Amino acid sequence: MEFVLEFENLTKQYRSFASRRRIVALDSFSLRVEPGEIFGFLGPNGAGKSTAIHLAMGFMRPSSGTGRMLGARFGDSHARKKVGFLAENVALYHRKAERLIRFYGALNGMGGRGLAQRSREVLQLVGLQDHSTRNVGKFSRGMLQRAGLAQALVNDPELLILDEPTSALDPLARVMVRELLLTARNQGKTIFLSSHLLSEVELVCDRVAVLHRGRLVHVGRTADLLVSDEHSEIVARGISAAAFDNASAHDGVVRLSVPSKRQREMLERIWSCGGEVISVNPARRSLEDIFLEVTSDAATSEKTQ
Amino acid sequence: MKGVLLIAINFVREQRWPILVLLMWVLLLAFLGLVSNLPREREDLLFIFKQVAVYVVAFSVFFGGSAIYNERKTRRILAVLSKSIGRQQYLSGLVLGVTIASAIYCFALGLTGSWTLGFAGFPMSQVWYLMLSLVAACMLAGTIALMFSTFLNPFFAAGATAAVLGIPAVMAHTTASTWAYAVPVYTLTMQVMKASFQSPGRANWLAIGLAVAETVCFWILSARIFSYVDIAVAVE
Repeated sequence: MEFVLEFENLTKQYRSFASRRRIVALDSFSLRVEPGEIFGFLGPNGAGKSTAIHLAMGFMRPSSGTGRMLGARFGDSHARKKVGFLAENVALYHRKAERLIRFYGALNGMGGRGLAQRSREVLQLVGLQDHSTRNVGKFSRGMLQRAGLAQALVNDPELLILDEPTSALDPLARVMVRELLLTARNQGKTIFLSSHLLSEVELVCDRVAVLHRGRLVHVGRTADLLVSDEHSEIVARGISAAAFDNASAHDGVVRLSVPSKRQREMLERIWSCGGEVISVNPARRSLEDIFLEVTSDAATSEKTQ
Repeated sequence: MKGVLLIAINFVREQRWPILVLLMWVLLLAFLGLVSNLPREREDLLFIFKQVAVYVVAFSVFFGGSAIYNERKTRRILAVLSKSIGRQQYLSGLVLGVTIASAIYCFALGLTGSWTLGFAGFPMSQVWYLMLSLVAACMLAGTIALMFSTFLNPFFAAGATAAVLGIPAVMAHTTASTWAYAVPVYTLTMQVMKASFQSPGRANWLAIGLAVAETVCFWILSARIFSYVDIAVAVE
């Protein structure tokens, strides 16, 4: 399979000029992003997410290792023609929104009526059609982020690399961006999404990777990650929640979270109490639980080493 | 080529206020031309013309030395270089931008100079030749500053540029005059400074040619250095 984005054993070190201290931002990082997926890239502050993205875009050179984007080596300007990028803390030139989008489109080799039409289209997509003649310098942070998204979309990219695209957006705008991403995926585009907003990632990403202190600590399908093999959720009625540990009751329906090993024992206990079992399912975890679990595990193993 | 031109025009647009401030000096010269008795005060006018003319060389160093730094500091460079623009193209755009910015100034000064000085008896063709010399000097000085700014902050880049431009000038004074051609910004600037009504000067095409050739060399060197530079430091 031809991967859209491929990091192969990438390491990036910064060297402090004054103290000669080495800072490892990314350590032997390998990752492959498949075509047509929304890939969530997670990690706490300083994990190296932006460094990985900047290496992919060719803004930085790796200390060692290689990588490919759309079949070309990182930094290839021709490959970037098919890429849309939105940086964290987006900064754009201060000019009228539509002219600005046309400028960025023209940098990608677009021109003429096609570019003018596409600029209007993307401004509409991000909800800025009524502000197309306003100077971007007078935009709020949320509007600026939407303008940044518009410049990333103007060339109708095959690959979208978004670094915290919804951090400054209100809930309505977040829903709009989420729908935009899902539509793009349905059109066969690939989206590489770095975000701190785990609920957003959980809703749209097909796969996620967790980075911690420059190392990849977890990668997998979001659906698989969210379903726990170790715990089950039993829903029953006709029993008292007080008689069970980890149980909550609502409208006479009791929900119990039990270790999978004790599932049979618990079911028999419910029946013996005269209760009725409504459903038994693997317990769902939130991405936040997984994120905290994975990053704390990584921190613990680093300490023991 | 389209990308280079877009970056150049964008650079000039971003520098519109400093350029407008510079153009105020040209307006001042035009005003003096209007209010003074040109045949009698022509030497004073030429002195001001020469002084106003050489400012642009210093400004081209500041334009070139701060271009990349400002773009990196504001992080605007990321959106530009995320498009299908190579770093070499980006630098070419900046060199062209610095040249256009100084050419705008020189053109305005040429117009004013050919009117005021021409009226006082200075050969008009020589005014335009001096402006061409200045544009060539600005192009080279700006490119050298740009080269240093790929790895130094603007203050040190300006200092390093001043050293590169100044050392051949000092050497020309202390040893052989051919040193002035090593980096011909000094030669081209001195042509403007030495011009007089009695001796408007002769065209020195060798110095202009050398300036263009050295601009290309420094541009290639800048592109080579810039290709190794990390343009974005993680915000995390």
